[in-house]
Amino acid sequence: MARTYIEGDEARIERTDFCKVTLTYYDGRVFEDLEPRRLFPLSGLHKYITLLDPEGREAAIIRSLDTLMPESRQAVEACLEEFYLIPRITGIYDITDKKGSLSWHVQTDRGERRFSIRNRHSDIKVLYDGRVLIRDSDDNRYEIPSLDRLDKKSRSKLKSEI
Amino acid sequence: METQTKALTNRPLPDGTEERLRSRLEDGERLLFTVVCDLSPTGGYSDSVLAVTDRHVLYTEEDGSFTALPYTDIAEAAVKRMYGNARLTMRKKDGGTVRAVRFTYAVASLCDMAAAFINNVAGGETPDSELPAAEAAFDRMKLVCPKCGRRLIREGAECIRCQSKGKIVSKLWKYVAPEKKPLIISLIMSVITTAMALLPPFITKMLVDEIIPNSDKKMLVTVVAFLFGAYFIQHAVGALRGYILRIAGDRIVLHLRNDVYLKAQYLPMKFYDKTSTGSVINRISGDTATLQAFILRITQEVIVQFFMLVGIIIIMFALEWRLTLLSLLPVPAVVIGVKIFGRKIAPFYKRIWRRWAAVTSVLTDSIPCIRVIKSFAGEKRAVKRFEKYNEEWLKVDVRSARITSVYPYIVGFVVTCGSLLIWSVGGGWVIDEPGGPLSLGLLVSFISYASMFYQPVNFFAYLSDSYQSALAAAERILDILDAEPEQSPEDGEKPDVIRGRIEFRNVSFSFDRTKKVLSDVSVTIEPGDIVGIVGTTGSGKSTLINLLMKFYDGYEGEILVDGIDLRKLDTGYFRSKIGYVQQEPMMFSDTIYNNIAYGVPGAHIEQVINAADVANAHEFIARQPDAYDSMLGERGVGLSGGEKQRISIARAVLMNPSILIFDEATAAVDSETENLIQEAIERLISGRTTLMIAHRLSTLRKANKIIVVDQGRIIECGSHDELMALGGKYHRLIEIQSMSEKLRRSKEEERFE
Repeated sequence: MARTYIEGDEARIERTDFCKVTLTYYDGRVFEDLEPRRLFPLSGLHKYITLLDPEGREAAIIRSLDTLMPESRQAVEACLEEFYLIPRITGIYDITDKKGSLSWHVQTDRGERRFSIRNRHSDIKVLYDGRVLIRDSDDNRYEIPSLDRLDKKSRSKLKSEI
Repeated sequence: METQTKALTNRPLPDGTEERLRSRLEDGERLLFTVVCDLSPTGGYSDSVLAVTDRHVLYTEEDGSFTALPYTDIAEAAVKRMYGNARLTMRKKDGGTVRAVRFTYAVASLCDMAAAFINNVAGGETPDSELPAAEAAFDRMKLVCPKCGRRLIREGAECIRCQSKGKIVSKLWKYVAPEKKPLIISLIMSVITTAMALLPPFITKMLVDEIIPNSDKKMLVTVVAFLFGAYFIQHAVGALRGYILRIAGDRIVLHLRNDVYLKAQYLPMKFYDKTSTGSVINRISGDTATLQAFILRITQEVIVQFFMLVGIIIIMFALEWRLTLLSLLPVPAVVIGVKIFGRKIAPFYKRIWRRWAAVTSVLTDSIPCIRVIKSFAGEKRAVKRFEKYNEEWLKVDVRSARITSVYPYIVGFVVTCGSLLIWSVGGGWVIDEPGGPLSLGLLVSFISYASMFYQPVNFFAYLSDSYQSALAAAERILDILDAEPEQSPEDGEKPDVIRGRIEFRNVSFSFDRTKKVLSDVSVTIEPGDIVGIVGTTGSGKSTLINLLMKFYDGYEGEILVDGIDLRKLDTGYFRSKIGYVQQEPMMFSDTIYNNIAYGVPGAHIEQVINAADVANAHEFIARQPDAYDSMLGERGVGLSGGEKQRISIARAVLMNPSILIFDEATAAVDSETENLIQEAIERLISGRTTLMIAHRLSTLRKANKIIVVDQGRIIECGSHDELMALGGKYHRLIEIQSMSEKLRRSKEEERFE
């Protein structure tokens, strides 16, 4: 089965609920109750967004958010913003190592947070562009957008752990 | 009015919320439980509260005020799991939907419970009858370490992270204690050698000041003979001590390694899901040796060097106190240097180890997959990947080498400068005051002592260095030694017979908390039943089996075997009653005979042959040149997939199990072999409870019960005929398969024509 890709301006996307959209093709076909999800939640935030119906069947894939019309793009972005909660860590107060598990105390763009991670091998991922992805013991996600842009103190705290 | 009991909560309500909440309650309304959630509706970290009473569900709005919803208005409550966060939503009977609270996965399990509670009460149950389930959920949350908040596996378990360093020492003492005697003997011996080492400089003084100036040849011979004796004792005792110490150390590392390996066998599958095998192997092979070296250091060298340090200082003070103070001058510099060095090097040890673990994990990852690498021409990529990780290791190691190599020379330089100080000041005194308290001999022997003095100082300087790496090694080993095993090897019930009645009661399970793999599964399997489990891949079939095999715990609900809770059954005993045939049979690099007899090591030869016979394996084994003595290479090289499968069935036959599990045993073989295997299976299953996971539904022709699993739920359950009559998913699957079967057959016929 061929995947349907949406590119450019062949359809309009409107937000109907806090993370639901309606997809209206200009040829008249309408898909309701679709949930935008990222196909690459870690590596591609704005590319390859799939639209799933309540049964989990895919209606279409958006190749890139950049190609959508501004209103459609906003609708999808608002839904993604709702669905994906990945606080950005802006500063690290403390990382303590207790027998291989790390307790973190950090400042994020969503407020102060304490969490712990179990296994640094699989729960901290450093990408080539300097992004750091973190998963805590409850399976919540965090992101450090750029290692280089962290302040020096935070960076040195982090450096010995990755 | 009823007395208000303290309502259940996961953590104290934020300031003022309790009052606001109480003021919203009606007369006589009972607050049952509250869940303090950690996100605001816009996704920022802040407290919001869900409160459940016997009449209403209340939740905080953005401004902190409570909204109350009576049960009679609620059609359905649900937890919508998103990415890194979730929401509790309630659909109202009048059609609207309210989004009550938003939270991270930290409290998701409580909100799951709350949603179930609300649904049941809204559906007509009384709040009090639902309360025990709520209490159980709160109790599960309490299974966390009070210090660090880490989840504990069972109540009262000790949190492995929060133990003090002192505990590490006391844990390692267990391995040192049996070697106490040789260690103490070697300690006494080293005191002797140290004393002997301290002697020569003192005799030098006698030689320079008295014997040589006085031309006392008789005394010279005596002194030389005495020195000879001292040197001889020093080296002879030293050699013996080295021998004793090495043996003691080897025994310590042997026990340590054995224990780590033993523990590794009993670690739950969950541990292996999350830890790379490379890192486990590294810990058993490398870290134990590091630790052994450190244990010897701390029990021997530290004491000896300390003894030496004190001895030299006393002797030096006795000889000449002013010069002694002078030679102590560089000590603070050395000690401060050590502190700085320790702080700088500590992170490097961790980093080096981690990089090295990454290198080994590339190895353990790629070498077993060599067939895939070759067939996709990925050799160059594999080499590149390995080189990249190796390079990273080098980078970190080079940086730490800079510190570790430069540092000793700085210390050495400072110390040498200290001796210059003694030469210049002491030499001046000897020249200025001939016949004074400081003679030439005294100066020479003093210089010798001063240089010896820096040996223990240096030792203690580096102690922190080896202490750091040993501590890192100890942590990683204790990580395994202290990890919660699936169950301690011997406890739990061992009923005489397992008849094979299996009951799943409302079982739910998830590997992580994001997605439920099984939800609310209930099914009963009677002894002797032949049960086929069908469903698409990822539907949860294998997870059912994994739970039954006790590979994972932490599921909700109950699994009963012959009416006994699976958790209470002895793991080893229970598994020995299960014959498990995997989709991909794993063979040990051992003989065919030993591979079949793996589950029953003491089996009689004829039993093994009989088992092979039942499994349709005897004939092909007999055709091998080495027959039952054929060595199988790693992963059973030399046998075909179907042959290996039949050996693994023979393995299961020999166990004479009460319960048989086939996890797609015939998925990877041709139809002829499948028939052979099928025949073997049919011989084997008579009278035993049998669970078969199968894709090819034709393999299930013997099954008297079919379970259809879909998205973690059992959607259909019954006999083949019942399910066909039902016309549901099973019916569809059968149709699809028989259609493709027909298609294949008609194509074959066409070809023949």
